[in-house]
Amino acid sequence: MRLVIDYRKCLKSGQCSYLHAELITADPDGTPRVIAERLGEDLRAAAEDAVDLCPSGAISLTEE
Amino acid sequence: MDAAPTPLSLDQLRGNLAAFVTNPYPIYSELREQSPTFMEFVPAGVVPGLDEPLAAWGFMRHADVYAALRDHETFTSARNPLVEKGFFPQLVLIMDDPPRHTRFRRLVNKAFTLRRVESLEPWIARIANELLDDIGSGETDIVQTYTTPLPVKVITRLLGIPGEDYVTFKRWSDTFISSLISISLEERMQNTMEMVEYFGKMAAARRAQGAEDLITALVEAEIDGESLQDWEILGFCILLLIAGNETTTNLVGNALSILVERPDLWRRMREDRSLVEPVIEETLRYESPVQQLLRMTTREVTVSGITIPANELVAIFFGAANRDPKEFPNPDEFRLDRDLRNPVSFGVGIHYCLGAPLARAEAKITLNAFLDRFPRLEYGAAPGVRQSQSPVVYGFEKLPLRLHTGGR
Ligand code: HEM
Ligand code: SF4
Repeated sequence: MRLVIDYRKCLKSGQCSYLHAELITADPDGTPRVIAERLGEDLRAAAEDAVDLCPSGAISLTEE
Repeated sequence: MDAAPTPLSLDQLRGNLAAFVTNPYPIYSELREQSPTFMEFVPAGVVPGLDEPLAAWGFMRHADVYAALRDHETFTSARNPLVEKGFFPQLVLIMDDPPRHTRFRRLVNKAFTLRRVESLEPWIARIANELLDDIGSGETDIVQTYTTPLPVKVITRLLGIPGEDYVTFKRWSDTFISSLISISLEERMQNTMEMVEYFGKMAAARRAQGAEDLITALVEAEIDGESLQDWEILGFCILLLIAGNETTTNLVGNALSILVERPDLWRRMREDRSLVEPVIEETLRYESPVQQLLRMTTREVTVSGITIPANELVAIFFGAANRDPKEFPNPDEFRLDRDLRNPVSFGVGIHYCLGAPLARAEAKITLNAFLDRFPRLEYGAAPGVRQSQSPVVYGFEKLPLRLHTGGR
């Protein structure tokens, strides 16, 4: 399971790194970065919430 | 410490507040070079009962605004002298810091996600089209007949307020929004009491039996065993009135006036609806509905070489940041080929607008409905009138348009 950020859509709102600091951090300029390459099942609910809260639909979850 | 500097008064720059409010952009570009600028934030006499002017450090540069919004520890939203002096109610969420803000934001987020808003689009379009059916064609003050009722109808419907209560709700909403400027403290208290009673009853009814509405969602929202109290639900409903209605009214009105002045663009949009989205984003930058909001420094901080002490008011000028030539070349031109990721129209960071997906959906649905119906838009006989009372928002008080259904 992986979180993917589409940087063409991301508006650098800062919401994902604020509410899911365990999954995503932000560069000094506000660009969000996914922390872990792969996520375990225990983080599925948090990852789905991160996908859901992005105001510009820039975050997705892939199963590979 | 040095003696406090004298704040720059707007009179020195522009003659009066109304001139600044109806067109702040020339002043922004004068002040941006020397920003942060210590200036009168609320001139004396504007707020009934506030006899001394309130001064604040005005942030006008994009880089400073962006950095301040991301640093909520240095620039708190939770302290506001207008609230402390009793001129304005302490709002939930938007006037809060973590950890309380975090808990609240998590609980209300679910109701306003992009996905949820997308599922509401069909009935938002129905409301839009009903309003347009009532207007028909010809000349109309679009602020009165369309841009004001649209967001109020959407939010009442979302909250689950019955249609027959719309008029009462609208009055509460108006009283609350204009409260700072023209309404006495007594009237505002009365208004608040009525709302407390109304929403209290509604929340109790939804606790007894749920319905398909936002109040039910708020009553039922739970994270890690935490849920919202009745007063928090009420406070949130009040916040939605203040934060969501006039802002959306102004976005839609500003977009329509920009398009009336660009008939070629209107024709292109009728052929190519992919232009709707960039037009909305550029409108948000070019004529930002929210021009400024307050923060307070929690510690001494240096911004663009100027040292600001702790416990000082900071006015964040979203409108000025969005016209900073360092970030947006030729900022005073309306252009569709900009990088749309950089404007700060909905804020940045922890307080990023909760209603951004909803506001964008209402604007998109509106422009598409107008494009479907009207091959041409024109100004009406009388000119549009910008609101001139509150420097916080930017939009029209009256915007007469002539709507042409037939011909070309
Ligand atoms: C074009 C329309 C709108 C604009 C330009 C706008 C702008 C903003 C801005 C700039 C902020 C950040 C405030 C800050 O940093 O202190 C904000 C916050 C907020 N907005 Fe909006 N807004 C709009 C529409 C809406 C709508 C439709 C709603 C709700 C239905 C809404 C609800 C909120 C809420 C609840 C917050 C506070 C979020 C928080 O503190 O976490 N807004 N808005
Ligand atoms: S929540 Fe979405 S828009 Fe905001 S920073 Fe994260 S990815 Fe970007």
